[in-house]
Amino acid sequence: MIKFSALDSCKSLAETLGHLVPGGIMFCVTEGDTIVWRFSSDSFHLDSFEVGNHVESNGVMMNAVRNKKTVSQNVPRTVYGQRLIIVAMPIIDDTDNIFGTFSVFLPKLHPVAAAFKDFAPVLAEMFDEGSVIYMTDLTQVVYRQASRKFDISSLPVGHVIQEEDVASRTIKTKKPISEEGGAEIYGFPVLETNYPLFDEDNPDEIVASLGVIIPKKTAAHLRIISGNLEDGLSAISAAIEELAAEATSIHSNEQNLNNNIKEIIGLSEEINKVSVFIKEIADETKMLGLNAAIEAARAGESGRGFGVVAEEIRKLSEQSKSTVPRIQELTDTIKAKVNDAGDMSKSSLHASQEQAAATEQVTASIEEITAMCGELNEMAKTL
Amino acid sequence: MKNIQMVVFAVGKEYYGIDIFCAQEIIRIPKNITKMPNMPSFIEGMLNLRDQVIPVVDLRKRFGLENTETENDSRLLVLKLEGMLLGNIVDDVSEVLSVGEESIESLCVEIAYLGNSCIKGICKVEDRLIMLLDVTKLKNEIFASVS
Repeated sequence: MIKFSALDSCKSLAETLGHLVPGGIMFCVTEGDTIVWRFSSDSFHLDSFEVGNHVESNGVMMNAVRNKKTVSQNVPRTVYGQRLIIVAMPIIDDTDNIFGTFSVFLPKLHPVAAAFKDFAPVLAEMFDEGSVIYMTDLTQVVYRQASRKFDISSLPVGHVIQEEDVASRTIKTKKPISEEGGAEIYGFPVLETNYPLFDEDNPDEIVASLGVIIPKKTAAHLRIISGNLEDGLSAISAAIEELAAEATSIHSNEQNLNNNIKEIIGLSEEINKVSVFIKEIADETKMLGLNAAIEAARAGESGRGFGVVAEEIRKLSEQSKSTVPRIQELTDTIKAKVNDAGDMSKSSLHASQEQAAATEQVTASIEEITAMCGELNEMAKTL
Repeated sequence: MKNIQMVVFAVGKEYYGIDIFCAQEIIRIPKNITKMPNMPSFIEGMLNLRDQVIPVVDLRKRFGLENTETENDSRLLVLKLEGMLLGNIVDDVSEVLSVGEESIESLCVEIAYLGNSCIKGICKVEDRLIMLLDVTKLKNEIFASVS
């Protein structure tokens, strides 16, 4: 408590010391609920406390009057635009009656806020892709610093933080939050980290939050590219699998073809056997014809007609015998052609085997590339 | 003009003809020709032809040809000469021809003598020359050499 008689000394002390306090200070004297004297340093001024104004009946000053003791109170930023600590000391006259209060107003600035203008410009430039550093009180953005490379225009000073914002959630949970945001928030993907800032004297009372937003453009781009690459690769893989399956079916077709060709060779040998049989019959028939001609000659005049028939039979046998080499020629041609076809089918069999081998190599390479693409994707996620 | 019928056969590359009335039959060369000891090489052996034993002569050897391998077309031409049957191995019996007598040319005596041969003439059929054999002479020659 301050004696009324000491009030003038207090005032002059306050006026002297007031200019020395870093961050500014304000003193008020109230008589009853009316401000009768005020001093404020150059760097600190509150319009609400002018001489002649009335103080609120449930405020800290009237509280001190009612309780007849010194009362101090933290005033959040929302009330006067900046955080304050107000200490109200009751003034008593000689008869111990309460005259009013002598109050000290000290602006309270969080050390981080105080240093913001010093560290934020440096910090903001330290990220490769640039960054935006901002500080909020409990309701809005109060400081912000953007790098030269990167800025978020939708986050100006005075921007009221929304419930879903990282800052709001940090303030609500009192815990640091770091999360990636999609393009839907600021127009491009970002990593946003927000730390709660507590009152210097009361570590349970959250007073502000400090946030850093860095762009994830390159990472997101990389992720899209690696995603596209993976899609493309799986399409290629599918196509190659189809190709491999077709190569297998070509292979088995060629084998069937080869078997068929062998059968054809076997068949033309059968034809040859048949033609040998034809030749035997022709030989036999020729012999019969000749013997018949001999018999007919021996029969003399009466056998003449029979002799003609015998000669015809012999001629026929000659004719059918003459077909045998032609058949053989044809079967030889068939064999030669079939052998050619066999060679060709063998070479295409070989080619299809090579193709299958090449396909396997391609598949292996694609697998490697796919694995690399996966690594790229993982890397992009950690960027 | 009189036509004569002859059986034409090949020995080596040449064609020979015999009078059809001397021919008994033509058969495949049997496997069971029995060799006889101390015979000239052109006597192939003896053959049982339907219970009748007949000698078999290899005309190719008889005519002094070198290659005497039995071919697929080789035949046994059985001749009937004065009641005796004689088998002759020939390379092929090709046909029975009927030719006019005028197309048969007799060999001049000098040539015939030179060859000491049983060929009694040469017959021109189209562009072929067919040597007409005197089979009786042939038979006599064969058996003269044997005896």
